Amino acid sequence: MGVPYVPIVGLVGTDILKRRDDMVIAVDPFDGKTKSVVAKALRPDVAVFHAQVADRQGNVSCGYETEAVMLAEASRHVIVTAERIVERLTEKEAKGAFIPSIHVDAVAHAPFGAHPAGCFGLYSPDKVHMREYVLASKDDASFDAYLRKYVREVKDHHQYVEQFVPLEWREPARETGS
Amino acid sequence: MNYSDAELMAVLLSREVRDGEISACGALSQIPAAGLLLAQALHAPNAELIILNSSFTPFRTSKQFHYLAQRGELGLFFVSGVQIDRHGNYNLHQIGPDPEHPQMRFPGGYGGGMIYYGARRTVVFRTEHTQRSLVERVDFISAAGSTPPDVLRHGNPSKVVTPKANFHFDKAEGVLHLDTIHPGYTFDDIRECTGFDIGDSPISITAAPSEEELHVLRQVIRPKMIETGTYAAWAQKSLGNEAARLA
Repeated sequence: MGVPYVPIVGLVGTDILKRRDDMVIAVDPFDGKTKSVVAKALRPDVAVFHAQVADRQGNVSCGYETEAVMLAEASRHVIVTAERIVERLTEKEAKGAFIPSIHVDAVAHAPFGAHPAGCFGLYSPDKVHMREYVLASKDDASFDAYLRKYVREVKDHHQYVEQFVPLEWREPARETGS
Repeated sequence: MNYSDAELMAVLLSREVRDGEISACGALSQIPAAGLLLAQALHAPNAELIILNSSFTPFRTSKQFHYLAQRGELGLFFVSGVQIDRHGNYNLHQIGPDPEHPQMRFPGGYGGGMIYYGARRTVVFRTEHTQRSLVERVDFISAAGSTPPDVLRHGNPSKVVTPKANFHFDKAEGVLHLDTIHPGYTFDDIRECTGFDIGDSPISITAAPSEEELHVLRQVIRPKMIETGTYAAWAQKSLGNEAARLA
């Protein structure tokens, strides 16, 4: 949208407001009395998200996740990981949302890149892994152990997929790259 | 009883739907989804239904739904909370006395924080009616039942529905009042399992699900939910399932 802030209906009286310094209650400048929350615009430096398909120019089709379009527009830099890279992707071929390459800085091929979350139309969240993640989130020590196992001690994405994405998801071999 | 808690609640929620009104429920809302479809089949053929994350939605993006509610065009919304308090506040964020160190964290309440204020009426449903779910004060306010009169708001909570009783929200007082008690429960039962003062008896008894309501729910809505992939596994298990009802 490109505006510095937006008024919204809601949130007054919640504990959410107590925790956010980017949302305040303001008076309607036109009628001089009605109060509502105004939220400061989000302007991320970098957005990173996963998509179903992207092409070499940075055109992206991200299935159901149409909010990713707003995210891409709002962010100064955009990095997209994709299940599949094709030579050329146009708006017509995109299923769901289409993000033109004008917003995208870089694309990386990363099959199962959404794991342990799901990728709409391709795979559902990995419930076993999610349970482990929730348990690990209980305190800093257990979460550090989680990060060590799944992030820091993993050489690259290929190794992560080999080790942690359920085997039955990877067979039969899915189409990857072009 | 010849019906399950889930069937009872689906029927009670269906009675809240008005014909011609835009009525919606959010994610993980099996019972309201069944209630919406039941209402449309019975008394609200022209209700516009929005069951998020199903084929019963006219929208492609959640932004469209958000703006519909912001404009005040959403007539009825169904929502749930981990805790619901006497003041119509509900909590979908966290449990525990210290907000900085919650004992348990929940998904949060985007839907509530906006839609509770945008929808003309919101019915809060809760499948557990105990002193830990219906409380005097929620640990965290995800959405507030009342706001000062000079705050922009299109609507308020209208009811709370549980497997044991209905409460209605008194907008002027900003509190919940016990409305009706479901068949099989007494005033004392409700007082014992409610974490806030429910006032005095006598309170009337909720009209039990009728033969017609149960028949349509089991013979029309159940197959419809299964065929359309709308909480299909839940519908199969929870509606018209004799074994589950007696368990």
